[in-house]
Amino acid sequence: MPTQEKEPTPSQQSAAVLIVDDEAPIRRFLRTTLTAQGFRVFEASTGREAIAEASARTPDLIVLDLGLPDLNGLEVTRQLRAWTSAPIIVLSARNQEQDKVAALDLGADDYVTKPFGVGELLARIRVALRHMARSNGDVGEAIFSCGDLRVDLARRTVFVAEREIHLTPIEYKLLTVLVRHAGKVLTHRQLLQEVWGPHHTEDAHYVRIYVRQLRNKLEPNPAHPRFLITELGVGYRLRTNEDRQTA
Amino acid sequence: MAEGLHAKWVAVYVQTPEHLRLPDSERDRVEHTLRLAEQLGAETVTLRGARVSQEILSYARTRNVTKIVVGKPLRSRLKELVFGSVVDDLVKGSGEIDVYVITGETAAGRPLVPRVFRRTSPWSAYGKGLGVVALATGISVATVPYLSQSNMPMVYLLGVLLVAALWGRGPAVLASVLSVLSYDFFFVEPHLTLTVSDPRELVTFAVLLVTALVTGTLTVMIREQADAARQGEQRTAALYAMSRELLTYHRVANLASVAARHIQQLSNSHVAVLLPDVEGHLTLQTGEETAFVMDAKDAGVAQWVLDHGQRAGLGTETLPDAGALYLPLAASRGVIGVLAVRPDQPRRFLAPDQMHLLEAFANQVAAAVERVLLAEDAQRAQLTIETERTRNAVLSAVSHDLRTPLATIVGATSSLLEESGGIDPKGRKGLLQAAHDEAIRLDRLVNNLLSMTRVEAGALAVEKEWLPLEEVVGASLVRVEDRLGRRVVSTELPADSGLVLLDGVLIEQVLINLLDNAIKYTPADSPIDLSAEVTKDTLNVEVADRGPGIPPGDLERIFDKFYRAAAAGAPGVGLGLSICRGIVEAHGGRMWAENRPGGGAVFRFALPMTGGPPRPEAVLAEPRHAS
Repeated sequence: MPTQEKEPTPSQQSAAVLIVDDEAPIRRFLRTTLTAQGFRVFEASTGREAIAEASARTPDLIVLDLGLPDLNGLEVTRQLRAWTSAPIIVLSARNQEQDKVAALDLGADDYVTKPFGVGELLARIRVALRHMARSNGDVGEAIFSCGDLRVDLARRTVFVAEREIHLTPIEYKLLTVLVRHAGKVLTHRQLLQEVWGPHHTEDAHYVRIYVRQLRNKLEPNPAHPRFLITELGVGYRLRTNEDRQTA
Repeated sequence: MAEGLHAKWVAVYVQTPEHLRLPDSERDRVEHTLRLAEQLGAETVTLRGARVSQEILSYARTRNVTKIVVGKPLRSRLKELVFGSVVDDLVKGSGEIDVYVITGETAAGRPLVPRVFRRTSPWSAYGKGLGVVALATGISVATVPYLSQSNMPMVYLLGVLLVAALWGRGPAVLASVLSVLSYDFFFVEPHLTLTVSDPRELVTFAVLLVTALVTGTLTVMIREQADAARQGEQRTAALYAMSRELLTYHRVANLASVAARHIQQLSNSHVAVLLPDVEGHLTLQTGEETAFVMDAKDAGVAQWVLDHGQRAGLGTETLPDAGALYLPLAASRGVIGVLAVRPDQPRRFLAPDQMHLLEAFANQVAAAVERVLLAEDAQRAQLTIETERTRNAVLSAVSHDLRTPLATIVGATSSLLEESGGIDPKGRKGLLQAAHDEAIRLDRLVNNLLSMTRVEAGALAVEKEWLPLEEVVGASLVRVEDRLGRRVVSTELPADSGLVLLDGVLIEQVLINLLDNAIKYTPADSPIDLSAEVTKDTLNVEVADRGPGIPPGDLERIFDKFYRAAAAGAPGVGLGLSICRGIVEAHGGRMWAENRPGGGAVFRFALPMTGGPPRPEAVLAEPRHAS
């Protein structure tokens, strides 16, 4: 997939990535690509090896295939999350929506469906690293923009094409959660937890109804969204400008 | 009995010299009985010897037989001849062998022979005959002054003729005799006595009697012939009516019930058609309208008829103690089944002409059943050919469509691997792009094949959820975004469609396939319209294009697996639409294609919506607030 590569950010120059996949050709092409992008790359071909490598190398990010020969990828995610907060990007096959959701709910940060273009994977990696840096103390940008959409978190205002949009408190809360994780997929459960609190994590239709209201206010054509993308069976993703280029 | 004891059993027939003197029919019957025993699981043995009991006992000893079952001889001539008084001898000589004597065939089991001499006319007819003779006498007495005595017998003859024509043979004979007596009594000297003075009058009596009897009998014969002709005509008409009705049906079960109905009307019987199943066991074909029950014995007889192609059972020489008559359905390729007829009144039904008529019916039924069976065979053969053709089409399509992208990928990448500076950067990029595009295409093909397999195997797990419709539409539009090019997709969804009940991931795939289809088969700048409406219990969605449309004959076939519209030069194996239909049908919905007024094709699907969506009242009751 042709991508317009950006200059790697300084934090990415030295970032260490652990690639966990049992297929040697996939590891090889990921190593080549990521090394060329300035990452330091380690490899593991089984779940146990992945856990050992992760504790030995303390990578900044882990790319984890869900279909491993020994341990289930979900189990690896669970074990890793017990002690590391390094972003995990899951590689999965199509028609595995439930596994994706399970991995995300277990703490994985994002997923890429095989076969994937390198551009897509790099975008996910960048979003995850940026998000990681922010939660480590970096002040996030106060203004989020994607195409015509501009969200000023400091002033609590939302503009589409310079026109101010009025949102209800819950709609605004939902939007800020999405903005905070911009570029990253969020499951229904994660959104429910962050917007409505821990008692409503089964009421997925709350999210659907509010996402629809939000789309009706933000999207020029809610049936063909440009910002607030549905990943059916998984959740929602707020596109970043970068996504718009690589999509 | 053998079954109850879990024992093997042997049916023994001892051929004595008398056997050769038996009539053919009786010998046949022995043969048939033995064959039936064979079909019922027995070993059959024919022994030769003069002393029946001796032969049986010595054979029994050589075979270590423990029990002998013998029929008690009744009035049956066969039994008398075969066993004579052998039972006593047998019991005496049996020693350690148990001998069971059972009741053999009773008279009712003998072939029922129609009675030839029967009183066919009612008593009243005789009375009427008497009346006619009285009338003739009256007329003769009244006309004495005008007629000569020799005219009187003519008047009586006229009466006898009348009686014969109207009431049949018996009354005619009675009338003949009475006429002679009356004539003698009233008109022959001396009057009013039966004595005759002139012996010449005896000649007159004889002539009168013979003439009366002969004319009466002739008249009766003519009448009977007319009756027979009428009956024959009725039967022919019945046969014709059945044949004609049989022609209108194309399933064996229908034929069976038509035949049963017609034959039942004609003969007051229960009728069934039995055809062998795949394993050769006869099975009833008739619908519920005839309660034709068969026991094991009847089944044995029917099987025998099927195997031998000869009639058997009630009213025949073979196994006549069966409950019904079994006629073979003989067709050009052999016996294809059995027609079973169980009369309500066995005696009245078994006249030979009735038997012939039933055989004629059986032949008609056989011809009809054979016609249907042949048609079914032809259809099956056609189906096999088509299945074979489909399989070949699948193999060639799949292998072609898998190889084409692989050829490009292998070719492009190998030329990049082996090149030594001869390809400029633009060419290199082109090769890479080609390899990449083909790999994506290959991925889509593999996914379609997997989806098809799941649809085919019925392994689609439909997980319905209440979703906003535009979410599904939106997700699918995002997924085809980079393939749309310059096309405009206009969406027209109901303003507030509420939530719809479906499996989002699967319906997204339906929409993606339909959009892909429109992209593939229509010019690069033609628009696509996606619209939906929600009624009380249905969600209707349509994807319409402005392309070349679909040939009317293909509207249904395009949903077939591996079928691709003839005019289409587009790549693909022709799985997309059949996957769509499979998914929609797994939702309990239906999918079809139409041509659009003004040009283009439109694909529609309708999904049932049951129950109401959840309404999160509490959450929706949020106060409006400008942030």
